[in-house]
Amino acid sequence: MRSDKIIETELLELLPKDRANDPTGKRLAELLARISMKKIPVNSFSRIWTLGSLQARVTAGYLAYWLRSRFRNADEKQRLKSEAHLAAALQLFGAMGYLRGAVMKVGQMLANLPEVVPEEFAEVLSALHFEAPPMHFAMVREVFLDEFGREPEELFATFDRQAFAAASLGQVHRARLHSGEEVAVKIQYPGIARTIKADLRNLRLLLQPLCLTIDWQDTLAKLADIERMLLMETDYTQEAMFCKLARSAFTAADQVVVPRIYDDYSTARVLTAEYLPGCHINDFLATDPGQGERDHFTRLLTVATYRLYYRLHWLPADPHPGNFIFMPDGRLGLIDFGCTLMLNDEEWIFSNVAIQAALDRDLPGLNRSMARACRFDDPDDMEPDHLEVIRQGFYWFMEPWQQEGLFDFGDRDFFMRGIDNVMEATRKGYTRSLPMTIWSNRFTFGGRAFCYKLKGRCEFRDIYLQESAGVQPNHT
Amino acid sequence: MRISEQAKQENRSRILDKAAEIFTGKGFEDSTTRDIALAAGLAAGTLFNYFPSKETLAMTMVSEALVQGREDYLRRCTGREDLAEELFLFVASGLRRLRPLRPFLGPVLERSLSPFPRKNVCHEGETARQEHLAAVQAILVRQGFTEAPDYVAMTMYWSLYLGILAFWSNDTSPNQEASQALIDYSIRMFVQLITGSGAAGGDEHAE
Repeated sequence: MRSDKIIETELLELLPKDRANDPTGKRLAELLARISMKKIPVNSFSRIWTLGSLQARVTAGYLAYWLRSRFRNADEKQRLKSEAHLAAALQLFGAMGYLRGAVMKVGQMLANLPEVVPEEFAEVLSALHFEAPPMHFAMVREVFLDEFGREPEELFATFDRQAFAAASLGQVHRARLHSGEEVAVKIQYPGIARTIKADLRNLRLLLQPLCLTIDWQDTLAKLADIERMLLMETDYTQEAMFCKLARSAFTAADQVVVPRIYDDYSTARVLTAEYLPGCHINDFLATDPGQGERDHFTRLLTVATYRLYYRLHWLPADPHPGNFIFMPDGRLGLIDFGCTLMLNDEEWIFSNVAIQAALDRDLPGLNRSMARACRFDDPDDMEPDHLEVIRQGFYWFMEPWQQEGLFDFGDRDFFMRGIDNVMEATRKGYTRSLPMTIWSNRFTFGGRAFCYKLKGRCEFRDIYLQESAGVQPNHT
Repeated sequence: MRISEQAKQENRSRILDKAAEIFTGKGFEDSTTRDIALAAGLAAGTLFNYFPSKETLAMTMVSEALVQGREDYLRRCTGREDLAEELFLFVASGLRRLRPLRPFLGPVLERSLSPFPRKNVCHEGETARQEHLAAVQAILVRQGFTEAPDYVAMTMYWSLYLGILAFWSNDTSPNQEASQALIDYSIRMFVQLITGSGAAGGDEHAE
């Protein structure tokens, strides 16, 4: 067992720092230590994720940071009260955990509600994503018997007992088909959907006292949307459909690959896809790639995401580093389409109207779009500062669209301006927005954090022009 | 009239088949041996030559399913499982064989496997219990335990197992997936109990 001292030191390093009230993160670490000392009944789904583990505490730390930010301007009495609620909420968060998948997804999403997105957070999340799988092989075999009536070794020519990756709500095993193809088999934890529901119910319960005053209905709407998307992720049949559509959107010349799905080996709980050789971003960066390679993959990623946006009207809302494979032959692999938001026609038009208004420098039009995104009928209903902060954020989003030539996503100033804008909006409580913005923010920040890490550049405007030229009209 | 051994076997399996149908259709409590005999084309008295009671009849089905489950488990076992995984495989294999009987199993198990002292101990139930526990002992030996666990540990195991059965027989989730999580957790608890070690991360918190 690791010594507590090491854990505490690491915890301090990993926790978010509140510049004004808690610059060292010590107060937050103490709060977490206090809570993790308390005993809570763990359920079968939480045995991996009590607050005893460092990762869980870091995640809880970000949650705490987010919750606290809502009380920045409260008086002392209110703050103390909120602290008590916070402790209770975090404790429950620890109990929610077994589904490291689900909890991390929730954590990830809470982090990506336009409140907290410091760059380190992407690091923490990607580390957490690849945890050792808690389903032992006997349990995997039971899932196979239920889904296919056969054992994995019967269904496949070979099947690895050990999972090689954690995935959305499950784990992934390598296998080979009898016909020789190498595949990645994603298996879902039994009963995860009801745990997601229970977890979100608990979350609502515990957020309630914290959100009594500010935009509670808005929070509820967002939580409902998160629940909807999470439950959608539990249906691998739907993900298979997304994969196939995405796969058809790229040609060999694009150098973007979406793995083939093997229907005969896939069900709602098991998804078998072509195995893509390659590595994830951290291993790629460890090879000390040159600027040319970094730019190459930045370009592929940009083409890939905007192809999906313009052609299929999708926001791939899980821009998790684990979902991108740097293939040895220079191609980019896209895996995991569980969390894909299909924009309906109204959302699609709304999104493009805003983009066009920014491109045309149509200020009244842009203001109308921003007001709508924040769920106001009219820009005049918004405080001028509110409108200004939101608009600045959108301008930041649009910067690459307006620059001719290479755009440098590795530019620290550029990235930090985006983060600062989100922080400012949070600090001022400007968080009311359409549920759709959870996913569009996640899409934007996830993608940009990835390219920032990659220190990559691409001719974004050219890509946008090229991809939007292939735009599909409305679905209906 | 004496009948051949083959005819006896045929009668026996026909009775079991019909009983399963009737139990499933009417529930265990509302089914009578008379219904079963009628369906099997036998006189009620003849049925008693095979099975002395409705309970014995049902428990025979359970025992046979559990024997098959044990065979499945032995066949499926690769020798690479650790203790928790092997116990999971054993329990899950048994439940899979019991699955067709699930619609009427609750009251049967309650009567026949109850750990409380009773006047009429169900012989089949008692045999099933002993065989199950013997299989658990064999797993422990294979996993390197030199001493047999004492009555406390085995009583706790049996309590957990009965809890699993009770929950599972009433589990409405698809493929009883909620039970799978319960089995996993129960087994980890038991393993923790007899090995004195944490079975998985996160257990430090519970100390």
